[in-house]
Amino acid sequence: MAISWRTRLHIWFRLLLLQASWNFETLQGVGFFYALFPGLRKLYSNEKLPEVSLKYLGYFNTHVYFAPLVAGAVLRLEEDRASGTVVPEVEIDDFKEMVAAPYAAIGDAFFWGGLRPLVAGVALFFAVKGILWAPLIFVLLYNIIPIWIRTVFFSRGYRQGLKSVEFIQRHKLPDLAIHTKEAAVVILGGLSAFMVFSQLTQHQLPSWLGMLTLIPMVMLGLVARKGFSTLLLVFITVSTIFLIGLFWADVVQLIVF
Amino acid sequence: MTLSLTLGALVSLICGLDRVAILQMMISRPIVAAPLTALLLGEPLVGLQIGVMVELLWLARLPVGAAVPPDDTQVAIASSVLVIALGQSLNASGTELLLLCLFVAVPLGKFGQYFDRYARQYNVRLVKQVSAALSRGSFLVAEGQHLRGLISFSLSSLGTYAVIILGGWFVIPILWPYVQHPLSYSSSWMQLAFPLVGITVILGTINVSRAITLFCAAFCMSFLLMWLV
Repeated sequence: MAISWRTRLHIWFRLLLLQASWNFETLQGVGFFYALFPGLRKLYSNEKLPEVSLKYLGYFNTHVYFAPLVAGAVLRLEEDRASGTVVPEVEIDDFKEMVAAPYAAIGDAFFWGGLRPLVAGVALFFAVKGILWAPLIFVLLYNIIPIWIRTVFFSRGYRQGLKSVEFIQRHKLPDLAIHTKEAAVVILGGLSAFMVFSQLTQHQLPSWLGMLTLIPMVMLGLVARKGFSTLLLVFITVSTIFLIGLFWADVVQLIVF
Repeated sequence: MTLSLTLGALVSLICGLDRVAILQMMISRPIVAAPLTALLLGEPLVGLQIGVMVELLWLARLPVGAAVPPDDTQVAIASSVLVIALGQSLNASGTELLLLCLFVAVPLGKFGQYFDRYARQYNVRLVKQVSAALSRGSFLVAEGQHLRGLISFSLSSLGTYAVIILGGWFVIPILWPYVQHPLSYSSSWMQLAFPLVGITVILGTINVSRAITLFCAAFCMSFLLMWLV
């Protein structure tokens, strides 16, 4: 029995609540059961349903935007198993385990490590200029890819089942993640230059001074690489600026009087 | 005052849920959450300034697996509420007050990590309850238990918001007369320092070969272009 598009849509919407009961024991396990339940209900009788559902309560963790792809493929495998016409090549639990971790790694690198800083950098250009649309620009720019992935990948997963793994391989997402991160670094470099330049212009200070900003920035970057906390770096930087400010005010006062 | 705090709590709840539990459409990012709060309170530019300062601070802390980053969402929302509400009661405004609110709110953002961890720990018992419900054949109850997790995350968000607001409400009026003047000497530079420190942390932690070289090249090129044009 095929799962209707209405049920699949229901599952897709439920996947937006995947992490509602995120916990340290099964991570997204309960959420994955919750999302798939409308489909399982169509496939299995009330007698068999508890047994099948309980299997989904175990550990499950993948990137939240890739969960629809896994869900779609699992749904297809369940459909095949329930109909008994096709014998799945691997157990559904094994399939889930096999794909969840690599998809999580790809998603974390691409979305959290690359796309988010990239789009934040672009939106901050507008925000620094005082343009109130900046938050909207951020939300719209950022969500284009996640919404596309959540929708198209879910449908692909359902259509292709096990073969959906090949679909992911074809898109070369790990390479794309690296390029997105590189683009993010370039955008953040441009943003830093823009903020420093604007500040110097505002204070009518010589522009060349801005190039000196690179020295503390690179030093702090190297310190951050050693594992120092952001809070500590903010505290050190802000305290230094505060003390320099006080010292400079005293110097100015001495010169004036 | 009450209206400001309530509106802030409402945004804190919605954005706090977007952070982990539902959607993940990034309305929880400081660049969105702070201006949204400030817009509701009638001073969107304050929120935009806070958003710029907080957005990049913890962006390098990825929510990977069981890792829980500090709650920058609540820091941004509560700071916006504090600046606007305390600005009215202290009859103060400007970058200095904004900075003081952030100095108080940023360390308190660590509480968000504890509350978030507690919520996730609390949700462990939902697994057992869902399992028991399924064994009984009570499917509706099992589905409902999953949604109960939203309550934990909501309370975690509101708890963090409350801690920052209460902390700020007690500390800022005491500190304000002492720091207002000294801060004025360097406020604009400190405002610049926040996003730049965030960027350096991203640079230090981003997994890109030659990230610093790439960054320096982009910085110099952009700077020279702005200088020459």
